[in-house]
Amino acid sequence: MVVNGREQELAPGETIATLLARLGLEAGYALVERNGEPVERARYAHVELEDSDTLVVARPVAGG
Amino acid sequence: MQDALTIAGRGFGSRLFLGTGKYDTFETMRDAVAASRAEIVTVAVRRIDFDAPGEDITSFLPEEALLLPNTSGCETADDAVRSAKLARAGGLPDWVKLEVIPDPRYLLPDPVETLRAASTLVEEGFTVLPYVLPDPVLAKKLEEVGCATVMPLAAPIGSGRGLKLRDSIRIILEEAEVPVVVDAGLGAPSHAAESMEMGADAVLVNTAIARADDPVAMAEAFRLAVEAGRKAFLAGVMEEQEQAAPSSPVGGTV
Repeated sequence: MVVNGREQELAPGETIATLLARLGLEAGYALVERNGEPVERARYAHVELEDSDTLVVARPVAGG
Repeated sequence: MQDALTIAGRGFGSRLFLGTGKYDTFETMRDAVAASRAEIVTVAVRRIDFDAPGEDITSFLPEEALLLPNTSGCETADDAVRSAKLARAGGLPDWVKLEVIPDPRYLLPDPVETLRAASTLVEEGFTVLPYVLPDPVLAKKLEEVGCATVMPLAAPIGSGRGLKLRDSIRIILEEAEVPVVVDAGLGAPSHAAESMEMGADAVLVNTAIARADDPVAMAEAFRLAVEAGRKAFLAGVMEEQEQAAPSSPVGGTV
């Protein structure tokens, strides 16, 4: 699986929520796009990831 | 709420929006936001760098403030729509400060792509606040497609040059039926006051506060200027006169 352009190992049964927790991003806002489609936050725990997935993980940052 | 600013049916007590960019630390930003009493604060959306994730900005922003994600960095309508949808899906508000900026030198927004993105985002249920050059025809078209405000720039982003495009903004103020937020280029509280005296509904400030020697004091100065300018607008600023008119009685001098 590719996350933000980098290869990422997939844990067994990995969901978006478990991946974010593993990356230390369970707090605050993690904005996720899976294969070009935005994923609703409420579905993070239900979306099982696959090896062929490409994710973008973004967040709010300082800006005007 | 007395003299509330209403955008898309939501009332705000403050007419000063704050950008969160360019502060030296998140702590200073937090204190400046508090001093400004802003109720709308903008954030950008960027990919997380897993090597240097940094702190979560939202933990430094007041819970009661409306986080307004912008689409900065987007050069086309499609990019902007993608960014807005990502932010909303991830739990940020369905409000968006729409910026489509292909030009890195003057950071001027693309009017054609902005209108295209605005139209799509309104159809998708977003409350859209577009950042534009002060073109009164464009402002009207954005209003017609359902934008909640128009946000004309006073001068290029971060330039601090004040109301360089005053005359065009004045026409927008005359004609707009949605709130007008003067955004970008305001360098001093007097610029903000002047915008409000002209009848702007609100102003958005970032660099002038974030890069001040004392950002927290400057945030308060902008708050006071916005309040003063608004009060002056409501009170009715006098018309300029060609000639002098004495303030003291003409006769009875000793």
